[in-house]
Amino acid sequence: MSNFHPKKTIVWIQGITCNGDSHSFFNYSSMKSFANNFEIIYHPLLLTDYNLEEILTSRDKYDYLIIEGSFTKVRDYVDRCGYSFEELVENLSKRVDYIICAGTCASFGGIFRERDKINITGGLFSGDKEGGYWSKNKKVINIPGCPIHPRWLVDTLLILKDEKKLLLDEFLRPKEVFSYFVHHGCLRNEYFEWKIDTKNFGEKEGCLFYEQGCRGPMTHANCNKILWNEVSSKTRAGSPCLGCTEPDFPRTSVYETKTRMSLPAVPYGISKRAYYTVTGVAKSFRVDRLEQKLIEEKR
Amino acid sequence: MITPRVCGICSHSHVNATILAIEDCYKNLGIDLKLTNKAKYIRELVLNAEKIQNHIKWFYFLILPELFKINKAKFAQTEAFKDKEWFEAQNALSSILKMGAIFSGQWPHGSYAMSGGVTCDPLESDILNAKNYLFEVKEFCEERLYGCSIDEFLELDNIFDLIDGNSTLDLAVTFMKESGFDKIGKSYDRFISFGDHKGVNEPVKALKTRLFKTDIKFVEESLKNSFFDSSEKGFTYSKSAVYKDKFYEVGPLARLMISKDPMIRDCHRRCTDSVITRIIARVKEIAMLLKRSENILENIDIGEKSLTAPKYMPKDISSQGVGVVEAARGTLIHKIWVEEGKIVKFDIIPPTVWNLGNGTPLNPAIAQKAIIGLSSIEEADFVFKSFDICSVCTTQ
Repeated sequence: MSNFHPKKTIVWIQGITCNGDSHSFFNYSSMKSFANNFEIIYHPLLLTDYNLEEILTSRDKYDYLIIEGSFTKVRDYVDRCGYSFEELVENLSKRVDYIICAGTCASFGGIFRERDKINITGGLFSGDKEGGYWSKNKKVINIPGCPIHPRWLVDTLLILKDEKKLLLDEFLRPKEVFSYFVHHGCLRNEYFEWKIDTKNFGEKEGCLFYEQGCRGPMTHANCNKILWNEVSSKTRAGSPCLGCTEPDFPRTSVYETKTRMSLPAVPYGISKRAYYTVTGVAKSFRVDRLEQKLIEEKR
Repeated sequence: MITPRVCGICSHSHVNATILAIEDCYKNLGIDLKLTNKAKYIRELVLNAEKIQNHIKWFYFLILPELFKINKAKFAQTEAFKDKEWFEAQNALSSILKMGAIFSGQWPHGSYAMSGGVTCDPLESDILNAKNYLFEVKEFCEERLYGCSIDEFLELDNIFDLIDGNSTLDLAVTFMKESGFDKIGKSYDRFISFGDHKGVNEPVKALKTRLFKTDIKFVEESLKNSFFDSSEKGFTYSKSAVYKDKFYEVGPLARLMISKDPMIRDCHRRCTDSVITRIIARVKEIAMLLKRSENILENIDIGEKSLTAPKYMPKDISSQGVGVVEAARGTLIHKIWVEEGKIVKFDIIPPTVWNLGNGTPLNPAIAQKAIIGLSSIEEADFVFKSFDICSVCTTQ
């Protein structure tokens, strides 16, 4: 196997997964540019020049190891062509510069962790607790999301390739993406400001936070900045944000807002006193324009 | 929220199946949720986008690379991450998902449907935008895949008439015929489909070309020979879906045999249920789904309500329901049991367990039967790929 690749090299492996992160990546809209910068040496869903066996028995170094799906050391949970997931990870993680945990499952354990919270985890985290498959590994970057957004992945790879500064937050998520909240850029913001709930699903008007369980104000991600599939987002299509980039995903009781003494949870980083005061004031006014349909048929 | 995550490539089929199962719970209690046409249309559009994406991805990411392995010169224009046509195909599948995402918010893993309708409330300009993406994909299919207009292609009742070497489908069909692929990959010639596709809105099974009425209550999930049944004697993780104890093929070939599609019936007359017929059927379905989606976008009335249901499942209802969707690879069934507002049991029968299954040498399942007696692992691999056997489906 030749050791010379003019482009940065990627090996992509899977733990316990629905393949959703791979399929989300296949939607990337500048794939030619991606191919110009990177070469996928191995991907389980693609016919690559090398098979898994050849990759594992080679001694080549690669630039990036992308891991999709939850981590486990239990052999019965994952068997890839006769190799356990642990064998794959141990073999490859030492031969790469960076390990990208792609998606919420690889980052925190995600939806599969619900089955066995001890043996199914993320790379460096189990839910929001430190210590997953590894207790320490300096090569890891987490890019959660169920699924991952193709741009979160490729932008991170490009920043690494160009040796630009990549700042990470406490969960090792790139700050460029995860300093934003899903709430930022949501078209329903004005209804949020004036505390006007949507009456039902299937309407353009109203905020999904107060009754429908929207997690937008406490979920780190730039979904409403860069949009999904370049055209929309959950909240733009009238579905509440499910908080899928956070370590506590999946939460229970989705589609309803848990309240305490009829008060909803507070947006991230805002004090209860400040938030409830503003809420009280906003609620005491009636804004006629916001009570009407966005587009009225009669003038 | 949970069920789309069953599968990253068919997530919206799972959303739909679950919602249909919940709506069936209401129906079994005598509550008619009266969906508007708009809601039904949007659900179908989102599903069509997912299916078209599936079909294009399968043809360009799995089938053509296999043909490329056999004849590098002939299929060189479609190498992944290298060649123009592969990039065009990748662009087409992401464009059709844009069409869907206008209504579903995202793909994969949107949560666009709720009991009683859909969550989005599109504008005329959203419909126009969707039409633009559809147009782009149509153009790719006409120029590259079919070598003629979608309308012309749909008129054809003999695929072999079309062949003039101008399109990628021509190239593949000619090559597969020359390579004897019309003689391999045959199974029982027994098909089943549960409706909601062109011309057929009810469950039907077919023994070769003869059609019979079918009832979903005879569908069973068999654990025979699987590790779930016995960890010592089992040899597979695949369950099986059987109809009255028999294996049936599901998927585009089954759907088109049952809807008496002239082109596929003609192809079946010449090549029966071989690999070549199965592949042509799936590629043909792309054109049908594009045409159908175009009609929906013409006819959708955005003035109708998106959703007409009670918002939550009443806390005290107890019921059960079944949701059936014809997903890209075939019939997907969700069954749900609800007690006092809580789901107490949930069962999923995905397409691959119909086609893969847990057969034995004496009674092989669909795909097993199709590979028995082949001359090489490569041939068997190709036949497997013609069914698009899906590991995620199998392990759900």
